[in-house]
Amino acid sequence: MEYLIHLAILIGIYGILGLSLNLVVGYTGLLSITHAAFYGLGAYVTAILLTGFGVNFFLAMLVGVIITAILSLIIGAILSRFRGDYYALGSFGFNVILFSIFLNWQEVTRGPLGIPGIARPEIDLRFMIQDLRIVFSSNWSFLILTACFLLLCYLLSRFIVNSSFGRVLKAIREDEAAIQVFGYHTSYYKLTIFVIGAALAAVAGALFASYITFIDPSTFTLNESIFILAIIILGGLASNRGALLGAVALVLLPEALRFVGFPSDIAAQMRQVVYGLLLIILMLYRPQGLVGEYRL
Amino acid sequence: MGYSEEVEILPQLILNSLIAGAIYALVALGFNLIYGTVKFFDLGYGALAAVGGYVTFFLYKQLGFNLYFSVLAAVLTAGLIGVILNWLIYGPLRRRRASSMVLLVASLGVLTALQAVIAILFTSQFQTLSRAAGAQKVFEVGPSIGLGASGVITGVQLVIILVGAVIMGGLAFLLRYTRFGRAVRAISDDEEVAKIVGLNTSKIVAGVFFIGSAVAGLAGILVGFDTGLEPTMGLSLLLKGVIAAIVGGVGNVYGGVLGALLLGFVENFGIWQISGEWKDAIAFGLLLVFLLFRPRGILQK
Repeated sequence: MEYLIHLAILIGIYGILGLSLNLVVGYTGLLSITHAAFYGLGAYVTAILLTGFGVNFFLAMLVGVIITAILSLIIGAILSRFRGDYYALGSFGFNVILFSIFLNWQEVTRGPLGIPGIARPEIDLRFMIQDLRIVFSSNWSFLILTACFLLLCYLLSRFIVNSSFGRVLKAIREDEAAIQVFGYHTSYYKLTIFVIGAALAAVAGALFASYITFIDPSTFTLNESIFILAIIILGGLASNRGALLGAVALVLLPEALRFVGFPSDIAAQMRQVVYGLLLIILMLYRPQGLVGEYRL
Repeated sequence: MGYSEEVEILPQLILNSLIAGAIYALVALGFNLIYGTVKFFDLGYGALAAVGGYVTFFLYKQLGFNLYFSVLAAVLTAGLIGVILNWLIYGPLRRRRASSMVLLVASLGVLTALQAVIAILFTSQFQTLSRAAGAQKVFEVGPSIGLGASGVITGVQLVIILVGAVIMGGLAFLLRYTRFGRAVRAISDDEEVAKIVGLNTSKIVAGVFFIGSAVAGLAGILVGFDTGLEPTMGLSLLLKGVIAAIVGGVGNVYGGVLGALLLGFVENFGIWQISGEWKDAIAFGLLLVFLLFRPRGILQK
């Protein structure tokens, strides 16, 4: 049972990552391969504030989201000058740079040693109501917390894509030059959605850091960005349900491999083989994914 | 750092920059050849460098074959896998007029899967290619060309620089003076027109994939002899090659070489001033500077 709850929490975290990346890649058509960097930034800011300063989790998450938003504003401003595959390559580069900051800025991030002992979230209302202090220490309670955030992200994504703002995003994806003719400053829209996507990824990062209680740079590599991309491509681009479906499928898939009984290091590599083949097969036979409405 | 110390280290820094530049140039040459012809960023190309290195490792070190045979077989294998990938994946996608992003994602899949297969077959541990244990033979450069200070270079590194120059010259000749080269340039200008005038474009594209992938394999082998092999070596090589290609001018043979040399120098002088861990970040910093201020590279096409 604990194991199933663990999987459900992971699905929730990757669901948030998938939903947020889908806003950028699926709805706006910007092939961003740097999502793990923002995910990592959210995780690191939260972890540092929790372990070093004893800040409340929710405040730490908020700070992480704000810092990530500011940084993604700068990165997005640079990226918004590119399109198509150059955009993808540029974003690739930012993932490498942020990863090397996580790895090498040892005074702050402890480098490859990682940050252990990250506290679980708690809500302390004892100053208002007596004895009201909730600590999300059990996995059950953490699952509920994750589910709440996932639901919020889902509703936010749905709100965005159904709004007039979201319609402009889809128009940019279909034909950027045409929508510019109508007087829309497309780079402003591209930048806004990029920042929103990054901020949501930071939420997922904060949850991950607090759930595992330990983070190190190896979680936030390019491979992780590719994994998140695989989630939304499998589920279907430009579909919120698709992003969730992809997260469920790709979190559960390697668990199935676990039961085949490979040694753990080979199992880890087998997962990469499966993700790689999955991307190839999807591109060949079903580029819109399971329930997607947009093809790259 | 004192002035005299800087002069002391300068020849070695220049040598290191040249060696790194030659490796990046090899990768960029093959990458540019493929990109120039098929117009998509083939990320799977990186894995072929690892394929070259590991096939050599298997034949030369594990089975004990002759060095030249092993290297030749490894280069041919890398080329062949490139052709097969084109035949199975990229070719069908291109015929369907898939966007360059679809091709990029598919090639990302190739990279991920191939790297992992290599790690399963040969473990993800660091391996060396040379049979001789201990230090390699080194040559001292400097006094002979009238410099006060001197730097050292190993035999393998000398070979790297030579091979880089030979491959560049060979490719330039091939593209400029042969029928095949003219056909490649025709496809690179406009594939439809090339087809209409009767070129067998799919055959020529296959040839391009063979040559490009073989060059990648060769680069992987040289890196294996110089430093060593890792399943993920392809990705880092590829990234450097791509940066070199973009900095120099995508799809331009000489541009790639120029970009590679610039990258080699910026990286080595950068880590001298900052620190070795920031090498990748420095490389991508260079890429971003170019993408922002000179997006079509040094030699614009």
